[in-house]
Amino acid sequence: MTDPLDVYPLALGRRAFLGNTALGLGGLAMRWLGGGDDATPPRGPHFTPRARRVVYLFQAGGPSPFETFDPKPLLRERHGEDLPDSVRNGQRLTGMSGFQARLPLAGAFCDFARHGKSGTWVSDLLPHQAQVLDRLCIVRSMHTEAINHDPAITFFCSGSQIAGRPSMGAWASYGLGSDNRDLPTFVVLVSKDAQRDQPLYARLWGAGFLPGEHQGVPFRPGSEPVLFLDRPAHVDAAQRQAQLDALQQLHADQLAHEHDPAIVARTRQAELAFRMQSSVPEAADLRSEPDSTFALYGERAREPGSYAANCVLARRLLERGVRFVQLFHQGWDQHGGLPGGITRQCQQTDQASAALVTDLQRRGLLDDTLVVWGGEFGRTAYCQGKLTPNDYGRDHHPRCFTVWLAGAGVRAGHVHGATDDFGYNVVDGAVHVHDLHATMLHLLGFDHERLTFRHQGRDFRLTDVAGKVVRALLA
Amino acid sequence: MLRALTTSLALVALAAAQAPTRHWSFTPPQRVASEVDDDAWCRDDLDRCVLAELERRGEHPSPEAAPEVLLRRLHLVLTGLGPSPGDVAAFVAEPSDAAYRQTVDRLLASDACAEHRAVAWLDLARFADTYGYQSDYTCRTWPWRDWLLRALHRDLPWPRFVEQVVAGDLLADAGEPGAGGGDDARIATAFWRLHRQTNEGGSIDEEWRHEYVADRVDTFGQAFLGLTLGCARCHDHKSDPIRQRDFYATGSFFAVDEAGLTPYSTGGTPQPAMRLGDAAAQRELQRLAAAEADAERALAAALRVADSTPVHELAAPAPVAQHGRFVGDGDRRVGIDKPPTPTRADPYSLRFVVTAPTDAIERAVLVHTSNYTEDADTQGFQVLLKHDRLCWEVVHHWPGSAIAVATRTSLPGGRAVQVVVTYDGSSRAAGLAIWLDGERADVAVVRDELRGPATVRRLELGGRDRDRGFAGTIDEFAMFDRELDGAEIATLCRRAATDDERRDHARRHAPAVAAARDALRQARRAHQQALEQLPELMVMAAHPHPAQRFVLRRGAYDQPDTKQPVDADVPAAVLPFDASWPRDRRGLARWLNAPEQPLAARVVVDRLWAQCFGEGLIPTPNDLGRAGEAPLHQHALDLLACDLQRSGSTREILRRIVCSATFRQASTTTAERHAADPHNRLLARGPSFRLSAEALRDHALLAAGLLRRTVGGPSCRPWQPPGLWRDSGAAWGGGDYQPDGPAGAHRRSLYTFVKRTAPPPDMVVFDAQSRETCLVRRQPTDTPLQALTIWNDPVFGECAEALARRAELELPQRGLASHVDFVFGWLCGRAPRDAERDALLALCAQAADERQGLALCASTLLGSDAVMVVR
Repeated sequence: MTDPLDVYPLALGRRAFLGNTALGLGGLAMRWLGGGDDATPPRGPHFTPRARRVVYLFQAGGPSPFETFDPKPLLRERHGEDLPDSVRNGQRLTGMSGFQARLPLAGAFCDFARHGKSGTWVSDLLPHQAQVLDRLCIVRSMHTEAINHDPAITFFCSGSQIAGRPSMGAWASYGLGSDNRDLPTFVVLVSKDAQRDQPLYARLWGAGFLPGEHQGVPFRPGSEPVLFLDRPAHVDAAQRQAQLDALQQLHADQLAHEHDPAIVARTRQAELAFRMQSSVPEAADLRSEPDSTFALYGERAREPGSYAANCVLARRLLERGVRFVQLFHQGWDQHGGLPGGITRQCQQTDQASAALVTDLQRRGLLDDTLVVWGGEFGRTAYCQGKLTPNDYGRDHHPRCFTVWLAGAGVRAGHVHGATDDFGYNVVDGAVHVHDLHATMLHLLGFDHERLTFRHQGRDFRLTDVAGKVVRALLA
Repeated sequence: MLRALTTSLALVALAAAQAPTRHWSFTPPQRVASEVDDDAWCRDDLDRCVLAELERRGEHPSPEAAPEVLLRRLHLVLTGLGPSPGDVAAFVAEPSDAAYRQTVDRLLASDACAEHRAVAWLDLARFADTYGYQSDYTCRTWPWRDWLLRALHRDLPWPRFVEQVVAGDLLADAGEPGAGGGDDARIATAFWRLHRQTNEGGSIDEEWRHEYVADRVDTFGQAFLGLTLGCARCHDHKSDPIRQRDFYATGSFFAVDEAGLTPYSTGGTPQPAMRLGDAAAQRELQRLAAAEADAERALAAALRVADSTPVHELAAPAPVAQHGRFVGDGDRRVGIDKPPTPTRADPYSLRFVVTAPTDAIERAVLVHTSNYTEDADTQGFQVLLKHDRLCWEVVHHWPGSAIAVATRTSLPGGRAVQVVVTYDGSSRAAGLAIWLDGERADVAVVRDELRGPATVRRLELGGRDRDRGFAGTIDEFAMFDRELDGAEIATLCRRAATDDERRDHARRHAPAVAAARDALRQARRAHQQALEQLPELMVMAAHPHPAQRFVLRRGAYDQPDTKQPVDADVPAAVLPFDASWPRDRRGLARWLNAPEQPLAARVVVDRLWAQCFGEGLIPTPNDLGRAGEAPLHQHALDLLACDLQRSGSTREILRRIVCSATFRQASTTTAERHAADPHNRLLARGPSFRLSAEALRDHALLAAGLLRRTVGGPSCRPWQPPGLWRDSGAAWGGGDYQPDGPAGAHRRSLYTFVKRTAPPPDMVVFDAQSRETCLVRRQPTDTPLQALTIWNDPVFGECAEALARRAELELPQRGLASHVDFVFGWLCGRAPRDAERDALLALCAQAADERQGLALCASTLLGSDAVMVVR
């Protein structure tokens, strides 16, 4: 095969040079998508990072803290009594429960027990996460601004309720660049086995105004993990190789006539595409995993596209240098029928979430991998709709909820922040979404105020004009 | 060398000197004389502007591009489709200026040109086929795209374009000339309603109304001014003289009577909306409206002559639905089985005895007929308490399509009150009446625009899902299938009817009157049925009940700064609003069209330049403010802007650009010169840029002979990978994308259905956007997914195979090399060079047969520079 760079060495721009050598050097921090002159080099960390990669286990819909990580015995004691006005303090409610005549408190249907060295209370619904508690940093004092799903999840994933801003993973990709030019920098995995109550949106992993190569690439369950990855049936591997050879020759000749370095960049992209046709299926194929993997993550992990399978896949991608993997598991929106709904959600996600932490640790990856678990908001202490002896629901509640972090640079076995006895307001250690983003960026080696991109005459950042690093979460 | 002074530019930079400290873009564009050494190179003053700047920097232009290169470039920038080999051969045989200009004329007049030009406007308009939030339902927007195509195809003068988009509804209402065809102008205003809208349950409607107005202001700033007005939403603009109050004052132009949420369970179109009908439908509607008016007059006449002998024995009217005592606690509610389901043409009345609590009631539902609360889904009729006032409403979509009245005094609490509400079937607020304890209550008209069906889905007392219930009692509820009169109401309320009431009762019950009333009802039903089967389109309409607007502190919807009320106004630092203009969107259009307006014309011509060159003259097209970058060739920009202000023809601007020597330069350069000017800011060479997502697919379909050339109409759904919506989690209720078969498979890409939360992947991978917000310029990227899409997406595969078939079919028995040349010619607009042909022949040697080899050639070429890049 003829390399156009040999044919026309004059065109060796800086980028083309890097693009060429990065193939040999591998570790050279090149984005997987070289690009033309418009492409921006990675910002590089501002200081020594603790985390080199992130896996975000996004629990879409808003998991209830009351049945997971933030026990409130008072709600059981006062089950059925009205939420005191002094607690609500005039805060807005959604239009779904805002018109209810009564706001009866609802105690959790499930029990809690102490776990780990710290003796932290965890719900019986999460037996596996309880086992890895000493590696988690539980934040009970998250709060956000939006009260409906679409704006809230958009806010959580991009730092703004307004569409069009880059997502967390896109910022990470922009800042860090790629560790493996044969794979995307930012991969999105949507659970196939989830209840599809609240939908997801492409903007949640979009690049916004950042260059498009930072966009999250959704991997699909099944044999073709990336859209249009597979050759058509009638084109065999040798023919595809011949196509690439022909393209390189066409581009070499075109370059000799046009002298445009963008031709070199485009050739590199085609070469990368060619390699992705083998690197991506290799990464996504769980059949090579030993039985011990499925013992750890659960048998559900054998079902492609399940949350558990996606956790295994996430680990494989992280191992191979993908910078940011974001899982989305829908189905946490329990306005009614909460006991049944949340039991199902926990059964689908508990074992694999814990297994991922354990697995990363066993492989030595947890030291420089940040794991985050959580949803877009919490749920109300009071019941939405009718409170019956066996059933209740909870409306959206942005004023407090729980997320957990684990891994690189995170204070393990720690519980941060607290909510009041009703689980209605944060009373200690409030962590805003911008604060969490600032902390995540800090762990990745970035000053969140300096990781910016100029757009419409303004320097934008993930944390908008706010956010502070929560030092208490750091080891 | 000849030193020439362009005599046509005698107006030397007078005005530029008038305000030397003003930011360049805030000074109106001026024609500035440009002196050049090499005047022979120039075909146009435009070239003199460009060349003067080049010469000043010691640079020189490139030679003219080869004819076949130029022709391909011309076709692609004007139509988004490449030339046929026949077009190329003809032009190469006689590459004269006349032939070039003829081609320009032909292309500019083509439908393909309008379709290609439309794409940039669809990005600005955040045009898509779904609402864009949460469940992301389908909405009807395509009539606006059709309006756009018509406007571009007939080169609607730019000032008219502005007037119609900005104020078409108001001009049509006023019968003003700028409206052109009244309906057409109204359709144009849908531009302002194409932003995303939510129907997520529990959303707070007030918040979303502010959100939508804010989007309109952002879009106005970006699309028409190139300014970042949105930066002034929470505070004064950091770099430009735009105050926070300017943001809200501009927003006052764009407030409409909208719900805030889109209809969820009732379907239908967010209001305000217009009905779309062709001329025949409009004529039929006029006929039916006249018939309705006739029937109304006949009823009035029958009433005048009817026997009015007072009736003394009044029979109690017979109810069509009843319920006994209901005791509410705020949550409890009771449904009435199998309720009557009157249409809005049918008169009806309700009667009940209500005992309200003594404390103030902000809101309570007494009687209603809908699924959910007003956040999206009120429909039918309802009796509510709002701030203690009794409200009687007949609703299609609240508040934009409804009639409603409210008592002027509070409903007394702590005692039983006899309530009767009546409706006469007229779809007018005047046809609603409230009677309390047998006396007609004084009411205020709250809404008086009922434009669609007020369908009754249920009948419920005391409360509603997701609404506030009534903590009082409702007793003796009854519904009647006619408008009760005073005498009947008196009887029901156990008081004696007056003589007047008895006479009125007699008149109303006269057989001739009853017959006339029945005829009127039939006439109304006929009219409404014809009207309501016409599809609706969201448009702008004057707000019949505009609320005072305020600056919002930190941009928060619930933080109005009551010390800062705002009225409709523009950012005066750009250009003050002339006091003689109407202070509504008509005035706003005049502000945009004013000769002193510094931004609008520049923004438009810059976009036309970008269409031809891949990038505009302005390096930061979304920010002409102080934080943006000034154009290197401002004289060229201003020349075109002045030209647009003079001629109003965007088509002429395009013609001028593509006929210039600047455009006709070769794009070929050296590595050194490219490195010195990677973005071609100097314009010392011709354009080179990658085809848009749309042009790439459309050109492939054209070359393959597959492209279906139907212009306009609803969006189509070409093939997409199965599970597209489902697998990305965007499928509300489990629905998935369904292709619509052969008819929609091969149309131009601007017609492809865009679901905002899961946009078409083969478009997005080539930098098309999800159309969630106004987009001024797409950001070009190179990714490996692009190569994968071209090689493996069945759509491109189909094109490659069809083109291979076509080569064999059209050139039978001519050998492989000529077939390769055919494929290359269609895709690349020229003959292959020897090295290119050799590479492709080598590829063919790897194929199973010639057909497959040609298809592999086509597939490879589609992903190559010779196809993907305009040069």
